[in-house]
Amino acid sequence: MDLENTKAQMRKGILEYCILSVLSANSCYASDIIRELKEAEVIVVEGTLYPLLTRLKNSGLLSYRWEESQQGPPRKYYELTEEGRVYLADLDKSWQQLVESVNQIRTR
Amino acid sequence: MKITVSINLGGYSFNIDEDAYAELKMYLRNLELHFAEEESSSEILSDIEARMAELFRTRLTSYKQVITIEDVRQIISVLGTPEDISDNNETSARDKFSSPGYHRMYRDTEHRVIGGVCSGMGAYWNIEPWIIRIIFIAVTMMGGLGILVYLILYIVIPEAKTTAQKIEMKGEPVNIHNIKDSVKKEFNDVRKNMNL
Repeated sequence: MDLENTKAQMRKGILEYCILSVLSANSCYASDIIRELKEAEVIVVEGTLYPLLTRLKNSGLLSYRWEESQQGPPRKYYELTEEGRVYLADLDKSWQQLVESVNQIRTR
Repeated sequence: MKITVSINLGGYSFNIDEDAYAELKMYLRNLELHFAEEESSSEILSDIEARMAELFRTRLTSYKQVITIEDVRQIISVLGTPEDISDNNETSARDKFSSPGYHRMYRDTEHRVIGGVCSGMGAYWNIEPWIIRIIFIAVTMMGGLGILVYLILYIVIPEAKTTAQKIEMKGEPVNIHNIKDSVKKEFNDVRKNMNL
């Protein structure tokens, strides 16, 4: 068993959930999402985020719009779609369940 | 003194040292290979390039106007190599991209004498091609049959054109890692020839 690998698997499992949660309050552009995920230490390398964002967008959970920026080229702002909100609410529930299940086992 | 190259990355223009440019190009090429099977690989890549541009800009000041190889390495460590991005063993690119045990005969025209038939057979069975060449010459001298067999094989066996085919010819599984190794090798050969 490889501890780092197990940790990486755990992070990977919740990453999608974390991205959707970051976007639940307001729309963000990729660098904002990265900052939040890095502060919370759920991603190690930034490159992990981009394929996930694109996949979430392709499956209709996210959409994006281009917004002008004073500092340079326009930026891609991501936001949750209606479908994404339903999906996130579902994930919220299963996360809650998961935390309870793990706690139950740990405190036995 | 160093030569710099001017590049357009994510809509910004940068001056970048030539060695840093080579490193950056190789990195982007590796990412491209890594994401090749994704549905929207070009979109992912342009998002990553936009982020890169943003990170490079934070490293430039009015006293430091050129991107160096250290900058490129630093940004690669922030964004992650394809291995870092795939992040674990089970679903890594190594498994996803490999076609296990593919071993096919191709004509190896890189090491050919006539049409690459013998060198291809040598690569396939992992023996020295000159052994096969001697057998062909011997059979030819015993009545000319060798030439006919060679012609048939030349027509039947395809040429190893792509990197994947060249790897299959040697019987190694085709995956992102040895494609990358081959590309890197070719790249270094080119660089050596250009005396960079």
